[in-house]
Amino acid sequence: MTTALHNSPTVPALGEGARAAPPAGALAWLSGGLTAALGAVGVALGLSVIFGEPRQLRIGWLLPLVGVRLDLDPLGGLFLVATGAVSIAVGIYAVGYAQRERWARFPLAILPLFVAGMLLVPAAGSITTFLVSWELMAAVSLFLVLSEHRREAVRSAGVFYAIMTQLGFASILLALVVLSAAAGGDAFSTISAHVHDLSSGTKTTVFLLTLMGFGSKAGLLPLHAWLPRAHTEAPSPVSALMSAAMVNMGIYGIIRIDLQLLGPGPNWWGLTLMIIGALSAVFGVLQASVATDLKRLLAYSTTENMGLITLSLGAAILLRSSGAPTVAAIALTAALLHLLSHAAFKTLAFLAAGSVLAATGLRDLDKLGGLARRMPVTTVMFGIAALGASGLPLGAGFVSEWLMLQSLIHSPADGNTTLALAMPLSVGAVALTTGLGIAAMVKAFGVGFLARPRSAAAEAAQEAPASMLTGMTLAAAACAVFAVAPALLGPTLRQVLAVLPTVGGHAAGPQLGTFLRLPGVGGSLSPGLLAAALIIAVLLTLGLSRWGARHRPAAAMAPLWASGADTLSSRMQYTATSFAEPLQRVFDNVLRPDIDVEVTHFAESQYLVEKVTFRSRLADPVEQRLYTPVIRAVNAVAEWVRGAHTGSVHLYLAYGATGLLIVLLVTR
Amino acid sequence: MTEATYTGALDLAAGAFLLTAVLIVWRRELSAIVRLLAWQGAALAVLPIIEGIYQREPAPIVVGVVVLLLRAVVLPILLARAVGTEDQERRESTPLVNTTASLLITAGLTVLAYAVTQPIIALDRSPTTRALPAVFAVILIAVFVMVSRRRALSQAVGFLMLDNSITATAFLITAGVPLIVELGASLDVLFAVFVLGLLTSHMRVAFGGTDLDQLRELRD
Amino acid sequence: MAAALQVVAVLAGAPLVMGGMRQVRARLEGRAGGGIGQPYRDLRKLLRKQQITPQGTTVVFALAPAVAAGSTLLIAAIVPLIALGSPLDSAADLFGVVGLLFLGTVALTLAALDTGTAFGGMGSSREITIAALVEPTILLAVFALSIPAHSANLAAIVSAAMQNPGQVFSPGSVLAFVALVIVTLAETGRLPVDNPSTHLEVTMIHPAMVLEYAGPKLAVVEWASGMRLTVLLALLANLFLPWGVAATDPSALGVLLGLAAITVKVAVLASVLAAGEVFIAKLRLFRVPELLAGSFLLALLAVTASSFLATTTQ
Repeated sequence: MTTALHNSPTVPALGEGARAAPPAGALAWLSGGLTAALGAVGVALGLSVIFGEPRQLRIGWLLPLVGVRLDLDPLGGLFLVATGAVSIAVGIYAVGYAQRERWARFPLAILPLFVAGMLLVPAAGSITTFLVSWELMAAVSLFLVLSEHRREAVRSAGVFYAIMTQLGFASILLALVVLSAAAGGDAFSTISAHVHDLSSGTKTTVFLLTLMGFGSKAGLLPLHAWLPRAHTEAPSPVSALMSAAMVNMGIYGIIRIDLQLLGPGPNWWGLTLMIIGALSAVFGVLQASVATDLKRLLAYSTTENMGLITLSLGAAILLRSSGAPTVAAIALTAALLHLLSHAAFKTLAFLAAGSVLAATGLRDLDKLGGLARRMPVTTVMFGIAALGASGLPLGAGFVSEWLMLQSLIHSPADGNTTLALAMPLSVGAVALTTGLGIAAMVKAFGVGFLARPRSAAAEAAQEAPASMLTGMTLAAAACAVFAVAPALLGPTLRQVLAVLPTVGGHAAGPQLGTFLRLPGVGGSLSPGLLAAALIIAVLLTLGLSRWGARHRPAAAMAPLWASGADTLSSRMQYTATSFAEPLQRVFDNVLRPDIDVEVTHFAESQYLVEKVTFRSRLADPVEQRLYTPVIRAVNAVAEWVRGAHTGSVHLYLAYGATGLLIVLLVTR
Repeated sequence: MTEATYTGALDLAAGAFLLTAVLIVWRRELSAIVRLLAWQGAALAVLPIIEGIYQREPAPIVVGVVVLLLRAVVLPILLARAVGTEDQERRESTPLVNTTASLLITAGLTVLAYAVTQPIIALDRSPTTRALPAVFAVILIAVFVMVSRRRALSQAVGFLMLDNSITATAFLITAGVPLIVELGASLDVLFAVFVLGLLTSHMRVAFGGTDLDQLRELRD
Repeated sequence: MAAALQVVAVLAGAPLVMGGMRQVRARLEGRAGGGIGQPYRDLRKLLRKQQITPQGTTVVFALAPAVAAGSTLLIAAIVPLIALGSPLDSAADLFGVVGLLFLGTVALTLAALDTGTAFGGMGSSREITIAALVEPTILLAVFALSIPAHSANLAAIVSAAMQNPGQVFSPGSVLAFVALVIVTLAETGRLPVDNPSTHLEVTMIHPAMVLEYAGPKLAVVEWASGMRLTVLLALLANLFLPWGVAATDPSALGVLLGLAAITVKVAVLASVLAAGEVFIAKLRLFRVPELLAGSFLLALLAVTASSFLATTTQ
């Protein structure tokens, strides 16, 4: 596909200048340690807020006019915990990664700053503080994406990211300024007290603008285009932070502003969120299932999971306004739990992908393979992450997707047409997403890690150093908790639900014990018991298959069948492209692949083929349809404006003077 | 006939009516499509017959029997004869929209039909109006078939489905159509099928096939 | 107790179901057939053969058959085949069962990729494509089934169907049944989606995935696919026709009756399936999505029909 044949990612390391600099061992320890320590502070603070009193902090002198205002409540606490936990794993991992990959000094130095920005966003208690920390997070992440700025692909990704994130910021800025002006206050608490006086027009404007801004940060359709580029080209620890922690801030914004401050919203808000969520989920997973670049696959999977979370949030609004607060609470729990488990398995997946990238210099699944023998720990880690991402039992994503489906099938049957139509379609969308998600993850794990290496670089891979493995192990432990013991998160989620009354939080949420029970509706699940029973059943099968072992000759190794050829070469294997080909064909109408087949014949006879060239390019269809015209229009306008730029300094000064005069005249 | 059996029978008949429409979208074999159309005619005829038995009135039963004869027997035989004369064109081989997409569009149209008929059902919650969404969905599916198929015969099938579903809507909403109106409409349909049959054979003589896309040549 | 018996019955009965289906097919095609007991003899033969590990495969390849068989056994312990009230009933509902089913599929597809042969990759790529497209139909059918019972737990669905036998013939239920039959065929690799008795590698799906297995491991794979078919047929029978399923804490007689009922139901369903297979040909791979889109449509209609009919009768 695109990446496979054109800009096949080669050596991932930095540009030449950075390479010349001495390896920054001490700096790596300092930066990684600081990142992990900040993460630990975030987790501790978050937990203390969730289970203790809300905390407040005012620093008047730090920002002019309004000052910094931090208000911590359980909702913000949850996001602090999630961000903090991701940062701990990434911080430890980054120590080894920075040394192995000779990470440049500047991006390494600002890594803790990125974490600090992400921790400030959910802690912000006023619009000004929120916007400043949001911009801090966005700006630092841009520099981090540009770490390897000497590669063309990185620069292009950086430009995309910069433009989209700033447009998103502008949209949020506008929305919050409107909100603040209408409600007559800067602090969230003031706004929440005056929110009933707002006209529905204002609310709608704020909703639409924030949805655009936060949606683009969460990578939702159609503003997702930066995500597969930036996540792919950034260094892997940064990808992990962005994909597992930063995109969550988009969801945080939607929950905080649209659900909590402005809620309860009208039905169509819920429907809009559901539609955007479902489209993002299906589109993201479809792109992931045909992607051949490992990190691009994971990035699209982020769009998919954020889509699922948004779908659940929308369902919660809709269910709440249809008079089913208990089911709405289930939907909300599903969204929050999925957000947390996604953070866990996506951190692990990106860290494992980073360790593959560091060991082989390859992201292209078509060239990987055979890592299970060469990098066993990384392989197991990626396996755990992939199991989580596919939403199968024993995986981290299973429980939350189960809750999501339960909230969708238990809508009240009181003749509400909207619900009766939206819910089956949502179940279909979630199911298609899960199904294709399984395909994408089987491809990533099966083609990337199993079988035989497809290139010399993959052949020479070596296991990652200890600190990288430690970071991954932490994330894997979190995945295990989500997979078999979500009960541990029960109290936390209950506290968070209690501060979200506008979306059904007051109703009893689902009980996350050993058995998950849903109050009000029939349904229960016990992931831990299921896992134990499955292990027993597998052991039982292994025992049963010993039957007749007495009569067997000694076990032996034998070569694989080479389909009649002499030896099996790695070129006979299915690649990621060929693995996804049936899916690509089935979804031909949506994906619109660009396929070129060139057949060169021998001069003597047109029946003999000398050479066949096959080229298949899969571009993002949304990007092509939506972005290309916009970019073209912007370019045209820019071209037109260029006419005024003659290069004469005198003329520019005259422009300035004229402008000043006009302003003076208008404001006279 | 009790209320419950009446409701159940109406639901089943409307369901069968919708199911035949879905299957017509699904199948490619023209002869199978014509057979399905006959079954649809039968399901349509059952609607007034059930109504008549439940209300103990003979008029709807007579209408039902006439409809049964015409739509389940006469029209399909005419169409089947048209299929029989075509040698190579027994399948709708390449519809404009592929079958998978057609089925998904059909799903969407059905859901849409459920959504838009809710206000009508809310007016009068009787068993007959309850079956309305299924019948209304067939109207939309029929239009879709006419839009997306290439063969002239499939177009005729779409047209007949449209007529079937409009008749069914009339049965359900007004609880029966006067005998004479139904007969007049059915005669119209019969003539239309004759005309379509003539046109099809003329097309075959002129172009050697009934691919409607070839009609574009007339413009150039 | 009943749950343990279910597991044993599925373990022991699966080869019988396979043998019976092959025999029905053979007779209808005018062949003598190997007899109903042939799969037992095959399994005994395979289990006594040498363990052969293909070079270059990992633990994934070695464990996959056990995971596939184990997940199926677990399903057999959860679902109410003979009696309601399995101790694991509240541990997993129908969504959980579907998840376990897919876990088995994924294990085998990964094993096929692990071999790194052309046919392994081909089989797993096709299998996973079909599995991905089957999922929406299955979950929508689960949705349709859960509407009357207000729960997706199996015991609740089956007992709701027992209390209200008339609802089996409602349009929603009939449509859901047809949709589930189609996905069962796809998930167990039967005609018209996959041909279980094919010897032509290029057309294979499931057989291509397990091409590298031999001896005892092949025995487990074959057994697992037989059990999968048996459990799914039994589940299908009990979801729609729950007659004869014993209540919670059944007496010995109740258990025996339940066992007899499920045996008869599976025998009838399997024979009908085998007889039907004689008359149909395998679909081209790229026509399978049409079949699955059709089943998705039926499942969607089932949900809309049952939710709309449920709402307006209140």
